[in-house]
Amino acid sequence: MIRLDNASYTYAKGSGVSNVNITFGDDEFAFIIGPTGSGKTTLLRMIYMDLMPQVGKVVVDKYDSSKIKLRKIPYLRRKIGMVFQNYHLLEDRNLFDNIALSLHVIGFSKNEIVDRVTESLEEVGLDGKEDRYPEELSGGEQQRACVARALVKEPDIILADEPTGNLDPVTSFELIKLFEEVNREGTAVIMASHDYNLIKGRGHRIVEIQDGTVRQS
Amino acid sequence: MFLLSEGVKNLWRHKLTAFTAIFSTFLTLSVAGSLMIVGQNTNKVIEYLRGKYKIEVFFNENVPDKQIATVVEAFNKINGVRSTTLISRSDAGKIFKSQFGENILDIVGYNPLPVSCVVNVVTFQNDKMNVMPIVERIKSFPEVDEVLYQGRLIYRIETYYQKFVQVMTALLILVLVITVLIISNTVRLTIFAKHELIQALQLIGATRSFVKAPFVIEGVLHGLIGATLAAILLIAGVEVGSDLLYSVSKFKIQYSPFVLFGILSSLSIVISFLGSSRAISRFLK
Repeated sequence: MIRLDNASYTYAKGSGVSNVNITFGDDEFAFIIGPTGSGKTTLLRMIYMDLMPQVGKVVVDKYDSSKIKLRKIPYLRRKIGMVFQNYHLLEDRNLFDNIALSLHVIGFSKNEIVDRVTESLEEVGLDGKEDRYPEELSGGEQQRACVARALVKEPDIILADEPTGNLDPVTSFELIKLFEEVNREGTAVIMASHDYNLIKGRGHRIVEIQDGTVRQS
Repeated sequence: MFLLSEGVKNLWRHKLTAFTAIFSTFLTLSVAGSLMIVGQNTNKVIEYLRGKYKIEVFFNENVPDKQIATVVEAFNKINGVRSTTLISRSDAGKIFKSQFGENILDIVGYNPLPVSCVVNVVTFQNDKMNVMPIVERIKSFPEVDEVLYQGRLIYRIETYYQKFVQVMTALLILVLVITVLIISNTVRLTIFAKHELIQALQLIGATRSFVKAPFVIEGVLHGLIGATLAAILLIAGVEVGSDLLYSVSKFKIQYSPFVLFGILSSLSIVISFLGSSRAISRFLK
């Protein structure tokens, strides 16, 4: 469960979010929609505690932003899989190593890592491409690799920040379908996007954000 | 195991920065190692000279032997005196014969050599030696005719030696601080080049120590490789230099290759650990 209680964050140069009160369920699929600069990324960053609310608090599972110690934040992030518009894949290692990194961080054994990475590559349709480097993959494949990296640690929550921003419409729809599959298996998915056409009519909750203020749908 | 392999792989991934760090460490540790060898050998020379320190005391001719024995006993009680050796007239005659090959009685018909005493002084490893107070005290005995000693020369050598030790210590500290800064800045370059990796690690839940470890391991490896190269250079240099020196002065450079390697590698581990930890900690702040 994710809960934002009156959470506000303002950057030094202005903008951010203010007085956000919202709750996401354990197996919920929700879209956060709003134009560029409306505060979508700020809201997501507060959820994975990259930004701490200056007012109010964010509670994710047992982690409360008003009480959490800095050294505990990595353990919260292990429960969250993150997918970004710009992929954030590491150019100096192949697909397998990129995905395996999440598991090394948690301390999985070598055999478990091989099994899990293979499984997650199959899940996103990238099996057989584990030796490729990010630059050898298309945009869609790189984004699926990011999803595989997020899924491989079997997170409770997937946070996706404009994951379709660099993808063509067909690949974007495929990615959303992939998220829906993940959600059906019990993982909460919160996806930020500025493209209403992409998310409308899919039967999921839509949270609208404008100028840092949330308007519930 | 993953962190160790990441540290080793980083050496290959960041070839240029690795080369810079290893070369800098190699240079600074070579200087540090040279200073240590020079310092150790200078110390040996000083210790040798100190072992030779002695004060020769000659007594007035008319002083009876019993009284001289009492005075020598009194010398032993002077602060800084280690031991004394009384040299009687007949002993002095034997020394004369051993040095000149002739009997003094055959030359002048009687033994004119005075009774004397060799006073050995206490040597302290680190303190400057000043025999002047001992000499002054000995001279104050009316039975004493003449005191011979290398006092001023000893004092001068000791003074220069102390200055030398101070300069060497300061130089060594300076070299080590420079090495820490070089390693720190080199690792910082690596970190800036790898900020994406650090961000990715933080986002996927890596703890602070997990993020730090590969960079620290990489820094320590730079240091160890630099130390090994410096040790090889110094050992080769000392072996060649020692042979050359021995052929002209019969002086052999004192050092142990294992101790030298041990000190340099330990030093490199400490300074590279400090340097790389400093760099990554500053970045993670």
